Amino acid sequence: MNATLDKTSFEPRLTAFVCNWCTYTGADLAGTSRLQMDANVRIVRLPCTGRIDPLFIVKAFERGADGVIVSGCHPADCHYTSGNYHARRRFAFFKELIEFLGLPEGRITFSWVSASEGQKWREVVNDATARVRALGPFSGYPGTELPAWPAAGAPAPNPAPGGGGER
Amino acid sequence: MARIGVFVCHCGENIGRTVDCARVAGEIGKLPGVVHSVDYKYMCSDPGQALIKQAIAEKGLTGVVVSACSPHMHERTFRRAAGGAGLNPFLCEMANIREHCSWIHEDREAATDKAIDLARVIVEKVKRNVPLETIRIPVEKRALVIGGGIAGIQAALDLADGGAEVVLVEKEPSIGGHMSQLSETFPTLDCSQCILTPRMVEVYQHPRIRLMAYCEVDAVEGYIGNFKVTIRQKARSVDETKCNGCGACQKACVVKNVPSEFDERLGKRTAIYVPFPQAVPNIPVIDREHCAYFKGRARGMKKDACGKCKEACARGAIDFAQEDRFVTEKVGAIVVATGYELYSIGKDQPAAGLKGYGEYGYGTVPDVIDGLQFERLASASGPTAGKLLRPSDGKVPKKIVFLQCVGSRDPAKGIDYCSKVCCMYVAKHTMLYRHKVHDGEATVFYMDVRAAGKGYDEFTRRAVEEDGAVYVRGRVSRVYRDGDVVKVLGFDTLNGTPVEIDADMVVLATAMRPRKGIEKLAQTLSVSYDRHGFINEAHPKLRPVETNTAGVFVAGACQAPRDIPDSVAMASAAAAKVLGLFSNEMLEREPTVARVDAALCAGCFHCERVCPYGAVEHKEVRDRKGNLLKVVADVNPGVCQGCGTCQATCPSKSVELMGFTDEQIYAEVNALAL
Amino acid sequence: MKELRDLATKLLAEGTVNVVLGWEEGPRGVRPAFATDAAAAGRLVFDPRCTQNLVPYLSPRRTQVKKLGKAAVVVKGCDARAVAGLVRETQLAREDVVVIGVRCGGVIADPASPEPLSPATVADRCPGCNSREPKLADHTVGELPAAPPGESRRDVRIADLEARTADERWAFWQDELGRCVRCHACREACPMCFCERCVADKTQPQWVDSSPHPRGAFAWNVTRALHLAGRCVDCGECERACPVDIPLGLLNLKLARVASERFGYTATDDPAVPSPVGSFQKDDAQEFIL
Repeated sequence: MNATLDKTSFEPRLTAFVCNWCTYTGADLAGTSRLQMDANVRIVRLPCTGRIDPLFIVKAFERGADGVIVSGCHPADCHYTSGNYHARRRFAFFKELIEFLGLPEGRITFSWVSASEGQKWREVVNDATARVRALGPFSGYPGTELPAWPAAGAPAPNPAPGGGGER
Repeated sequence: MARIGVFVCHCGENIGRTVDCARVAGEIGKLPGVVHSVDYKYMCSDPGQALIKQAIAEKGLTGVVVSACSPHMHERTFRRAAGGAGLNPFLCEMANIREHCSWIHEDREAATDKAIDLARVIVEKVKRNVPLETIRIPVEKRALVIGGGIAGIQAALDLADGGAEVVLVEKEPSIGGHMSQLSETFPTLDCSQCILTPRMVEVYQHPRIRLMAYCEVDAVEGYIGNFKVTIRQKARSVDETKCNGCGACQKACVVKNVPSEFDERLGKRTAIYVPFPQAVPNIPVIDREHCAYFKGRARGMKKDACGKCKEACARGAIDFAQEDRFVTEKVGAIVVATGYELYSIGKDQPAAGLKGYGEYGYGTVPDVIDGLQFERLASASGPTAGKLLRPSDGKVPKKIVFLQCVGSRDPAKGIDYCSKVCCMYVAKHTMLYRHKVHDGEATVFYMDVRAAGKGYDEFTRRAVEEDGAVYVRGRVSRVYRDGDVVKVLGFDTLNGTPVEIDADMVVLATAMRPRKGIEKLAQTLSVSYDRHGFINEAHPKLRPVETNTAGVFVAGACQAPRDIPDSVAMASAAAAKVLGLFSNEMLEREPTVARVDAALCAGCFHCERVCPYGAVEHKEVRDRKGNLLKVVADVNPGVCQGCGTCQATCPSKSVELMGFTDEQIYAEVNALAL
Repeated sequence: MKELRDLATKLLAEGTVNVVLGWEEGPRGVRPAFATDAAAAGRLVFDPRCTQNLVPYLSPRRTQVKKLGKAAVVVKGCDARAVAGLVRETQLAREDVVVIGVRCGGVIADPASPEPLSPATVADRCPGCNSREPKLADHTVGELPAAPPGESRRDVRIADLEARTADERWAFWQDELGRCVRCHACREACPMCFCERCVADKTQPQWVDSSPHPRGAFAWNVTRALHLAGRCVDCGECERACPVDIPLGLLNLKLARVASERFGYTATDDPAVPSPVGSFQKDDAQEFIL
């Protein structure tokens, strides 16, 4: 992974849960504008931040992510009118709980990035990556580490438990 | 076992320059369940799409992943291609390795690794995609138009002429709206009533329009193509089926001093009245607040205090006992055209955050009037029969000062938007004034003159160059009564000098605001509105007459300040949108909707509380004998827009959003950890 | 006591209800009672040992209780909030239950203990209680006793945890949650956990690992606390039910504070007050969102 990056430094893995209408499109705009950014973030596209269950974030950390980004439409901009308002309450509870449980601030980044904010998306990505890089790898569950990330694209050495059957 | 085909696109050099597409195809080809993995120069080209179709046919693919640009760009293209080869289109998804990868990274190794990850995530998702069928819902080919001003009239006529049945609801006793109050219209100075009245009559006579004046929308249920609207028919106290509009009741009415709403309180009307002579429908209504009969009843009198109108009516149409009635109409689409009202700048402020303009004396100085009042004074059908006479003493004003931007463009006072029509109508007012009072002096205080529009700039210049209006750039600090004159203290910012004018009358071009009660209507319709109450369009540029609720459209000044040509254009556009909707027997909807597992649902209805569209309904679950077991949530697929907030809220995960199911997202998250 | 017994007897005799849920003397302290006749009603008690919240028995999933017919339930002020919660979330129709409120002066943490109510034995949530007389009640019985003795320790514990570093907190909770055996007693005791199938029992996909493994224990406890955010009635039953003494009340209290500080919501026995789940304000604080 990230073979050409400086091998001595830690390269974090971040999962981003973003809404389809604002942040995903904003990230598209960053692309069309050729804004260069860190290559550590992998986007999972969802229709709305309202669809994002805190369990997604918990699961991402369980499965080896070092950081998570959650991003959607600014208040009042939600494609679905109010999905982001409900999400905001949910995230407020989640954020306070997970920090009370000892997850350091900075592992999870919440942001609003609109479809026109390609520049802001780059900042969110680079800043979140820098924060997580500074925090180091997430090793919250001692003794239960998953196998290291193998060479990209290799088949799963250890199929995820409970992943549900394919159809 | 899944049989997934993966197609990695070079996008010419766009992806290929930074991402080693062959390596991506090779690595992804090793994933379990992937039976076909290739890279190609341009997947969106015809030969590229042919590759997909061919692979589906030859390899019996159960899913397709196109690793290329953003799904916003080409998802439709590739889903159509997959569908063309007999694969359910919703088994095809895209991995975005261009916008989200090759264009934002330079390091080829890192970008290629990331591209592999992104493709793997989508492969894992597609393995769990299920075939979805486009939702087809029947369309009720009738439209509801709310508001009978020029926008509503235009929308109703265009719809009806296009073959649709229309229900036109107007809350006032007559249609016509503000346009019927205007004297002449810019930029042509043609008489407003002359062009409007024939259209009003046309509405009345149109076989496909059901005109419901003096009615209000009470409740709306349902969804695009299938709305059920409850309309309150307010009690007119006059039987519409018997009245022939002869007017005898109004002559007989003993209450003759009610300020006329139509004349903006500058004229008087009777308690039983039609708002203006050309009213449509020409059926009077009893204003129960002022009627002697009803006042007597309210005081508890047993005997009838009055009944002159009833005696005068030869057809026995007066019905004091009439009550509000409710009717339900089934419609497939709704056009909101509730229009505007003028910012009331006096002491009582209509909304929080608005500060008013006490310093301009409106409401206390009788010769300080607003734009609509000036229209009534200048109108041939107005209280002065078209003679310009000032309200205080009926003298002809020799000097009128017009103030622009009263309320508009003034964040400190609560409204920051431009009301758009004022520059034009003030220019018109100065011209009307000069045409009626040849030696009159018109002075206009303005911030800017915004006259963008066909013939508009020429029109404002005409006011200055031909009709001698004096334009002073600057603001007015105070307006007050000083004996016989109205003193105007202002500042000319171009000269840098204070200006003091002894005017006979002052006309305030006050801001346009949405109609009172628009928020409640918007909530009834589940459409969003801005902080001023204007209805939000679905997209400010590309979907200007749609709202965020499918099947609800917007026209005219309830969306933003609009002049007549704009309102009419919007109304026709909304009508065209509705007719387009009605041209289908069935509506097709993306099947990305939520579904409830009734067996697991505990009926806590958190989903109902968070649903932005009111798509969650209550469904009774009964056993074979018909005993009620429980009441569970049920999502109406016609209303659901697919945000998935219900699913994330549901504690037991008893509701699934098709296309973004928990299994799919779980697989995506897991695929990132591999 | 007599007032309670007389009322229960009367309600049963009149046929207003078929069963009265209350407490009676058992072999090890008090235990829940399901009084269906005058004799049983005459055995009902209420004293500081009546710690258990009986409202979970009203959940529609408790079919054995449901079969007994229309119920009256004896509630303390805290328990009444659970009734309100079930009504708010359409699990219970208000007219389907007769609520008998008891005025309360605090209960002891361990109802099986022979010790009397004292600052040492009082349940942690009781000192400072402001709902000692249920408002949501059809009948209220008893005199209002003296306020619960002692001082609450849990505010101090939360403050202490918040003062630590994230790593120290993580270590603390990993240690606490590390004892979790995933018996889900917390869930079973909770009046507000009424799902037909708990998400923790869902296997496709399995969001919450079923094993008593740090990951599974973490995911489960995060989920449980979040599902109760803005819904928890602070009856203390989860913590009392926990066989390995995980301080679940601290998590609940932490989120109750978030609900109160951010959304102005405090647990109440008024079912008309909307919970912060399913509602929002456009200007909810969002200082944590970039």
